[in-house]
Amino acid sequence: MDLTAKIFQDALFAAIAAIGFAAISRPPLRAYPYCALIAALGHSMRFILMNNPAHPVHIFGASLAAAFFIGVLAVFLSPIARTPAEACFFPSLLPMIPGMYAYKAFGGLAMCVLSDDPQVFDFYFFQFSHNAFVCISVLLGMVIGATAPVFIFKKISFQATR
Amino acid sequence: MTATTSTTSEKPRVAADARDVCRFLSEYSGWILGSGASCIRLEKNVRRIAHAYGKKAEITITPHHVHISIVAPDNDEAVSAIASSVPGPVSFNIITELSRLSWEIADTGLTLDAARRRLADITGNDKQNKWLVLALVAVANASFCRLFGGDLTAMAIVCIATFAGYYIKQCLLGAGVDLRVTVIVCAFVSSVLGATDYLFALGSTPAITIGTSILYLVPGIPYLNSFSDMLYRYYICSFSRLMDALVLTACLSSGLCAGMMLMNVGMF
Repeated sequence: MDLTAKIFQDALFAAIAAIGFAAISRPPLRAYPYCALIAALGHSMRFILMNNPAHPVHIFGASLAAAFFIGVLAVFLSPIARTPAEACFFPSLLPMIPGMYAYKAFGGLAMCVLSDDPQVFDFYFFQFSHNAFVCISVLLGMVIGATAPVFIFKKISFQATR
Repeated sequence: MTATTSTTSEKPRVAADARDVCRFLSEYSGWILGSGASCIRLEKNVRRIAHAYGKKAEITITPHHVHISIVAPDNDEAVSAIASSVPGPVSFNIITELSRLSWEIADTGLTLDAARRRLADITGNDKQNKWLVLALVAVANASFCRLFGGDLTAMAIVCIATFAGYYIKQCLLGAGVDLRVTVIVCAFVSSVLGATDYLFALGSTPAITIGTSILYLVPGIPYLNSFSDMLYRYYICSFSRLMDALVLTACLSSGLCAGMMLMNVGMF
């Protein structure tokens, strides 16, 4: 599969994931298409940044940039959807939550507790700390990236439901 | 943690007693906090409503309570109330409608009685079809599996594992079981089902199957709210939400570990 097809596939599955995970947090019905669109564009942007053959970007930088893009889209689309910006961008960010890193960090911690061999302990401690640091930094980057446009365009974002 | 409104010099559109405004705002705050609104959203909405009724508001937001003091600038009458956050699932629908209500009060001068009726309508009509949500979450997690590189077999297994796990989650929460216990049980069931890809060699990406089978339990909104509160310097709420999210992540990891040990699948 070539890169273009992979990008479209990533956008499609991110949109489906956003709709499904959004359902857990009960957004208004009219917000679903916007969540799907924003998630598709944001996630495919992260995919391009991380997988382009010329300059692949680390997950932290790619998530930060994609979250900023998601935040900008959410701020400008939320007045049309007549929902607060976070009702659009939180569900759109959910497919980018580094859940795999989060549970691997806890798994590493559990294995540290269970292991007696120093070498095995070192391996799992590395797994715990590496995954925890990546998870926290990606989460922080995502929230800073997505919230920055709300700060910048305060008037638009807090008057979306007016 | 504390926000103070600026005293308004404009005459309010609707005259209201400080005690009534305080009572309404405490109920309003309990609902919007319980629905998962960020602290900045709560503060702005309460400030807007108090201003519309010609009052000055001071707000303290703690993880499970909101303390509101309403002062009438004309006669220095002051009333305080503490509202508990209304326990329930995250609902952006309620947050959206309550934000709209705050603008309606500010822009059209809605009376306090009408505002109370609207609040009751909004909070009483937030229903969802649980089967539709169940199906959407199962399909979403299967798509998530694909995003991580899972094959079609992995997607099908993740879809079934998520459907079973989320159904159990709905039943247990409906029966009043503690959320943390629920998450452990659901992660265990989903990981056992996800491990079938390993045991029966059904597909080519069994590690992705088992890894993504429990991702629907990751508390995404509490994580996002926590960091959002941190950016706006609501550190106590931020820390509380972060701890809640970390405890739930630890619970889902425990359930996953137990499931993998039972199925004798290599851990991590």
